[in-house]
Amino acid sequence: MAITKTIDQYFDDLRSTRVWRSVFRSGTGSSTLHRALAIQQNVFLHLFSTKVRTRMLGFSATWYLGTLTLGTFLILVATGIPLMFYYHPSAPQAYADTKDLQFVVSSGLFLRNLHRWSAHAMVFLVFAHMFKVFYRGAYRTPREFNWVIGIVLLLITLLLSYTGYLLPWDQLAYWAITVGSNIASAVPVMGNKIHFMLLGGNAVNANALLRFYVLHCMILPLTAMFFVAIHFWRIRKDGGLYSHASEPATLRTNAAISDSTATEAQ
Amino acid sequence: MPDETKPASSDNAVDRRKFFAKLGLGSLTIAAAGTAAFAYQFLEPNVLYEPSPVVNAGKPDRYPLDSVTLDVNSGIYIIHSQEGYFSLSAVCTHLGCLTAWKPELNLIACPCHGSKFERDGKKIEGPAPRPLPWKRIWLNDDGDLLVDRSTDVPPLQRDSFVRV
Amino acid sequence: MADSKDFTAGIDSNAKKSPRRIVFITRRTSAQVKTDSEDQVQTFPEVLFRAAVAIMTLAVALVWISLLFNAPLEGLADPSHTPNPAKAPWYFLGLQEMLHYFPPVVAGVLVPGLVVFALIVIPYFKVNIEADGLFLKDRQKRLRIFYLIASGLSLFLLFFKVYAALVPTLIVAGVMLLAAQSSPQSSSALRRYLAARPLSYWVMTWFLFELVVLTAIGTFFRGPGWSWVWPWQGS
Repeated sequence: MAITKTIDQYFDDLRSTRVWRSVFRSGTGSSTLHRALAIQQNVFLHLFSTKVRTRMLGFSATWYLGTLTLGTFLILVATGIPLMFYYHPSAPQAYADTKDLQFVVSSGLFLRNLHRWSAHAMVFLVFAHMFKVFYRGAYRTPREFNWVIGIVLLLITLLLSYTGYLLPWDQLAYWAITVGSNIASAVPVMGNKIHFMLLGGNAVNANALLRFYVLHCMILPLTAMFFVAIHFWRIRKDGGLYSHASEPATLRTNAAISDSTATEAQ
Repeated sequence: MPDETKPASSDNAVDRRKFFAKLGLGSLTIAAAGTAAFAYQFLEPNVLYEPSPVVNAGKPDRYPLDSVTLDVNSGIYIIHSQEGYFSLSAVCTHLGCLTAWKPELNLIACPCHGSKFERDGKKIEGPAPRPLPWKRIWLNDDGDLLVDRSTDVPPLQRDSFVRV
Repeated sequence: MADSKDFTAGIDSNAKKSPRRIVFITRRTSAQVKTDSEDQVQTFPEVLFRAAVAIMTLAVALVWISLLFNAPLEGLADPSHTPNPAKAPWYFLGLQEMLHYFPPVVAGVLVPGLVVFALIVIPYFKVNIEADGLFLKDRQKRLRIFYLIASGLSLFLLFFKVYAALVPTLIVAGVMLLAAQSSPQSSSALRRYLAARPLSYWVMTWFLFELVVLTAIGTFFRGPGWSWVWPWQGS
């Protein structure tokens, strides 16, 4: 007991130092003000509002699918970056590197597995999130644009998965991407050009691997983060998570009010 | 006074919350420490795809008496002196540039910052902090000279030479 | 205002030059609060802790799976040897199943393009904003349109022998017919529920059903040469 008290005291002393207070300006505490400041003064967290309606917290409304999708994305970034340390995006070195990651690198097998299963989970969760949002009607006014942003994020997720699929450079990867890029060449008029630009050549070779690597590790994640930020911001600006009972009375009884004002204006 | 009437239970309530908070933070700390340990292990490569430090310098009769021969690909000098054959590292001890043998000046010179060394590795002048190290040299079964660039041997000692 | 008459609002011919702002307070209305004030809680800790617990649970589940199951890795990529079957990642297998029936322009470009377009425009159609049951208004007219579209689609799929897509279509059409025979006064809770579903619900449910069935077929029921296999008969 004596030791734990000292640890507490130590942390309290730490928190009252000038250095600490220059970093965490709002200070700690459990008052409503402190909790609001913890959100509002944090550059990452002030995307959220400081308060939310209690009705939106329930699990049954959303099954937390949006949050879980974000969670898989974070896991993918956290596992993907270490994987980049041992991976050369050149053919056929990429395959040797993937084997190295599985057999030679400490924790390599675990990281690769976690990356792969989180990727599958993310695709599944993003579809589930879309269907759940649709079935509870959370796409209606004023949330239409956020729904469109969500579809954009769905496409980015599928592209991320598709570009990542090629990187191990095994038979599974090579032929899945060959088939997929040949579908792109079926686009009328521009198909062959699209195919050529996508692969950086006429076939899936070293150029294609490098392009997919840059797309997968740099361009698409940055684009995804950009749209995720907009997506979260729109949730807040559209009035928070949708819950039918939380909508303003006017929106809920729109038809009734328009009828009654029509008669009254006579 | 509400505090005085129930001191025991209010203590218990605080203790339980604090207990779980400490349990949570404690396990988070342990998890973080474990993650850090695994991350460190991950970042240190277990397998290197670098060339072997052992270099085959060929037959000794390639190197005439009193000659200083630089092999640029492996970064070593093979020197045949009166006492026998020995090998110096050609990498300047200052900041790692490849030195060169200057026969007209009878010394080894580094082009980067002007360090100069004698043919036994001793530093003459320049910013290099240490003399050029002697590397382990021996004869293999085929009669080839082998040099291990990863092993230093003391300079000018009997066993640092190879006598043929 | 003591006067109990209602007012008629008209437009002054000089409205642009001398606008006036007048409030009409009629007898039957009063100033209304437009939004309810509901219970609110602090984002930190309520939202953040719930999110943290959800993500941690997900992470634990994924870590557990990663420790038990290995990600697949086949032989080195060999352009001279195509494996049989060459399957896309599972989320594209529905598409690949459709490629079996239709040319790439249709199955690979047209259908996905239309699907994405349809998804994007969902919230901009008034019919999706209304939440009325599909067959509760204009029942006869809507039933006729339904028969037309359902039979047209089914015949089209039958003609191209796309049984994989035909069966879910027929099932959904069947359930829609049940909804058409139901009303909010029906006996069973299921029929009351179905009667209240709007058009958007039926279209999306059909799409979800097709997605699941086509993906499942592509995953489990297709073998070498994209031939039909029964998954319990090992090859």
